[in-house]
Amino acid sequence: MGGVIGRRLLGLVFVIFSITFLTFIVGYLAPGDPILVLMGPRRDPQLYASLQHQYGLDLPWYHQYFNYLGGLLHGDLGMSYRFQGRSVNDILANGIGVSIALGAMALAASLLIGVPTGIIAALRQNSWLDRSSMIFMLALFSIPTFVMIPILRAANYFVLFRNGLPALPPAGWGTPAHWVMPVAVLAAVTMGYLARLTRSSMLDTLHQDYIRTARAKGLRRRQVVGVHALRNALLPIVTVIGPSLAFLVTGSFVVESLFAIPGIGYLGVQAIAQRDYPVIQGTTVLLAVTVVLMNLIADILYSVLDPRIQAEG
Amino acid sequence: MQKLAIVFASMLLLGALLTGCAAAVTPAAPGAAPAQQPAADGAQTLIWSVEGVNELPGLDPANPQNAQSIQAISLIFGGLVKLDGLLNVSPDGAESWTISEDGKSYTFIIREGLQFADGTPVTAQTFADSINRALQPETASYGASFQLGHIVGANDVASGDATTASGIVVVDERTLQITLDDNVPYFLAQLTYPVSFAAPMHAIAADPTGWTETAFGTGPFRVKEWQHNQKLILEPNPKYWAGAPSLSEIELPFFQDSETAYQLYRTGGLDIMGSQQNPIPSARVPEVQDSPDFHSAASFAVRFVGFNNKKAPFDNADVRRAFALAVDKETLANAVLNGAVAATDRILPPGFTGSQLPVTGLTYDPAAARQALADAGYDSSQPLPQVTFTYGVEGDNERVATFLQQQWKENLGVDVVLEPLELATFSKSLDTTYLTPDEGVQFYLSIWGADYPDPQNFVSQQLRSDSPNNNGHWENAQFDELAKQADTYLGSADERLQLYNQAEQIAVDEVGWLPLYVPQFSVLIRPEVSGYSLTGQGLIFPDWTQVTGRAQ
Amino acid sequence: MGAFDTTATAAAQVAPPAQRGLWRRFAHNRLALASLFIGAGVIAAALAGPLLYAVDPNYQNYTAINAWPSAAYPLGTDSLGRDTLARILAGLRVSLIVVAYVELLNVGVGATLGLIAGYRGGMVDNAISRVADMLFAFPGLLFAILVAAVFGPAVTERFGGIGRLLLVAGSLALVSWPLMARYVRAQTLALKQQDYVLAARSIGVGGQRIMWGHILPGVAGLIVVSATLDVAAVVVNEAVLSLLGLGIQPPDASIGQMIRQAIDYLESNWLQVFLPSAALTLLVLVFSFIGDGLRDAVDPLSEV
Repeated sequence: MGGVIGRRLLGLVFVIFSITFLTFIVGYLAPGDPILVLMGPRRDPQLYASLQHQYGLDLPWYHQYFNYLGGLLHGDLGMSYRFQGRSVNDILANGIGVSIALGAMALAASLLIGVPTGIIAALRQNSWLDRSSMIFMLALFSIPTFVMIPILRAANYFVLFRNGLPALPPAGWGTPAHWVMPVAVLAAVTMGYLARLTRSSMLDTLHQDYIRTARAKGLRRRQVVGVHALRNALLPIVTVIGPSLAFLVTGSFVVESLFAIPGIGYLGVQAIAQRDYPVIQGTTVLLAVTVVLMNLIADILYSVLDPRIQAEG
Repeated sequence: MQKLAIVFASMLLLGALLTGCAAAVTPAAPGAAPAQQPAADGAQTLIWSVEGVNELPGLDPANPQNAQSIQAISLIFGGLVKLDGLLNVSPDGAESWTISEDGKSYTFIIREGLQFADGTPVTAQTFADSINRALQPETASYGASFQLGHIVGANDVASGDATTASGIVVVDERTLQITLDDNVPYFLAQLTYPVSFAAPMHAIAADPTGWTETAFGTGPFRVKEWQHNQKLILEPNPKYWAGAPSLSEIELPFFQDSETAYQLYRTGGLDIMGSQQNPIPSARVPEVQDSPDFHSAASFAVRFVGFNNKKAPFDNADVRRAFALAVDKETLANAVLNGAVAATDRILPPGFTGSQLPVTGLTYDPAAARQALADAGYDSSQPLPQVTFTYGVEGDNERVATFLQQQWKENLGVDVVLEPLELATFSKSLDTTYLTPDEGVQFYLSIWGADYPDPQNFVSQQLRSDSPNNNGHWENAQFDELAKQADTYLGSADERLQLYNQAEQIAVDEVGWLPLYVPQFSVLIRPEVSGYSLTGQGLIFPDWTQVTGRAQ
Repeated sequence: MGAFDTTATAAAQVAPPAQRGLWRRFAHNRLALASLFIGAGVIAAALAGPLLYAVDPNYQNYTAINAWPSAAYPLGTDSLGRDTLARILAGLRVSLIVVAYVELLNVGVGATLGLIAGYRGGMVDNAISRVADMLFAFPGLLFAILVAAVFGPAVTERFGGIGRLLLVAGSLALVSWPLMARYVRAQTLALKQQDYVLAARSIGVGGQRIMWGHILPGVAGLIVVSATLDVAAVVVNEAVLSLLGLGIQPPDASIGQMIRQAIDYLESNWLQVFLPSAALTLLVLVFSFIGDGLRDAVDPLSEV
């Protein structure tokens, strides 16, 4: 096990190194000069030169890259081009917690609904209940978040607010009331996926020999399902919890933007629009580390739960 | 005064309680609010959304990077002069001033006892230091050398050759003299732009990067808390020279999307929404325009089509004229954009200084458009080759561009390819057009808004051949002559405006711009809020001691 | 969403034998069969639509903006007065082209590399897996946005609308292929140990032939299933790219863009949001059921 973790950590270093290099090179080749973006509509060669020097952009590209890596080793992600005098560390520090909290709540919600739905659907395979719940989950999955949000808000306004009922705040972050809509929207994306995964994995398990044997030995269905099938069927779910959370954290920028939530998903997209490369790099590095760590934890969990399987590098 | 305001506010509160307070109930707030309430009974607050950003790029008055920063900076900082509710220049940090005969020398008398919000005195030296700081290259301000460039010695400071401009002289503690290199009739108007505002030099020296976290100046408010990526919270400046504001707090939450702000407004979460750059979403205008909360004024901004005059086919005035005559702006304004904008045929927005003098525009006329194109040598036997129209993806731009495409196809038979660019790339392509016109775009959708209320800000800055903002290199000798004369005109203001008017007429006739429409500056303001003035340059609160907000 | 799909773990554990009776088993699943016919119908409508319904999808009628259905406009008009039925047909075509490109790249690159990595092992496997790991850890859509933003203008300038379409598809495929590679690799690893492969090798069949002749048929089902399930993600992601001005160029529309353009008017004309959304949902459902049907057909054990 120690070896596996060691290899994975080594892989993490490789991933981070290549991600910084890739973002750096793409940024270096990009049209859209960050300094010009910073300067807005005004043109002034002196100011241009002084800004270029201030951000070290007058250096050759490899020099710039090594400066960046040097900073990274000290945990310093550099200074934002866009936000005066603010470090990337400082900008991202506020947001990452919010994004993870949002992602974790959405994951919890989609597990709570998706997994039981999947189990019930599998136990009643091909029934009316199975079909309709799966169609519903898929439909939910196919509605883009930028459609779901206005629909929820319209419902919130016309059904609740206009009738004097307690309504949810349509934007912002802070109190639990603020969490409801964004979490629901984000959960809808993974819910369908988790339900389908659970159903499929449950079906596979139910067809395994040992389950058939157990049934043949005369064990009651409830006992078989509850004790034997469920435990095994949920193993694949465990492995996707990490990647799902990572997906939710990184994929939430539409939700963050439309609900004015101060997370980092949207910061990253904004940074691309403004060619704020230090923030782009900081965001990708941070998210990549999150993904790799989540995958690692999932693999470890998996091998703990299922001793037959050795985590593979 | 303050006491009276509190008494008045408590009466309001009492009134609200007695009438069942249905109007004041906000569904989201009740649980969270009480703990943070200030001690003062009956205190009023204002929640005023900042749209189009999810964070302010900065609060340094020397470097106001966008309109949203200026909205906040203007609440916190003050300069020598400011704009009143009618957009006239009025005293702020300077209680009076005199201008020399030749129009080149300004002497300001600083208000007696003027202080920063922390009690530090503000003198003529403070203003001199602030202006010099704004010009210094380390400050990296993109507005300063441009707005203050006429001050003698400003360019030496901007290039790093000097640290103080020789044209800024501190005569005594309360007297500041500024000398210009020419007669600049719009100089006072330029001083209402934040770059010359009094900056707290002592606070900046103590914490050069972090001082804006608790920024303060000589404006009516100071920063209480800046919750990054979320909101800015301001509290009154107790030392404000006109008396501390009556509000106990202003909250400025940030919204990338104006629709989000609208959603919050209609569920009671905001007191003011909508700004010049990001008005009420045009799809929402029909449902709110009859509401008492709805207020609207023509914005001091014009959306226009710019042409690359160094590249065929738009180097030909007849082609430009054909494209201008072929656009039905009324349909664009009223049908496509729901009347959220007003069609225009001229450079100056309505209500702007100088716009009282009429200009004859190129109004929609498909037959004349085809004739103009024929005059340029293009007809059915020799059609105009396909042209590419470039725009940045933002707001209604996509719909406007799609509309224009069909207009030019239908009325001129010209195939126009649309090139939508993400904003950063769009601004880069305009730079390319300016610097190397041959590699630049053919024609593009753009907007220009006022920095200060003087025609120079539109006519000369956009279209003089030597202006760095003339991206398309439109050039006309007679126009240049008139505009130049007006920019430094020593005679009466009326005569000066006449000169601009003649220049503007030439720019319209020769299609320096193809003006499309003036955005309506539309806002929603709750009836409880009073003491504001809606101007083409935004919402102005002339006297903060009289402003009422939401009762807590 | 494209990040994962339901079949990976299931399919990776099972080594399908030769694929005889595939169609019989597929046809047995009536939902899948119906989906196949509906899907074929949708594709036919999108391709032949302009012939059957000859209305210019880009023509704007300013006197009928956001109109409800009428004789002149069977499904109403959008916020620029364009015929919604014509636009849905045209939009379906654009979306299907993007989907086809993305899945072609996804299968071509992802499946091939996964197969090679799984079969060859060693250094090759290591190199491919590390690159996939890297792209996998990259916040996917963010990377697609970056690529589209950075290379979009240059590509459009040089290769026009088609170039742009390919770039959009390419950047979306960039997000999908590592996952495909991962699944195929895992499945290949499992198949490599199967009796029929070992038998083939023992009688001296060459590596290339084993890979393409014996293992590829075994992973084909998985590839098709993963690709069909990825469709929804691609359609939605294209719309998100266009939200930022990085998608298909107007006035042409994709289904995703039609939804985006209509959403501002949700409360005044919900039908214009509903119609393209329904088309998208239909597309997703159809592809998913075909995928499910294929999965069951390929893997007979899951049949009851």
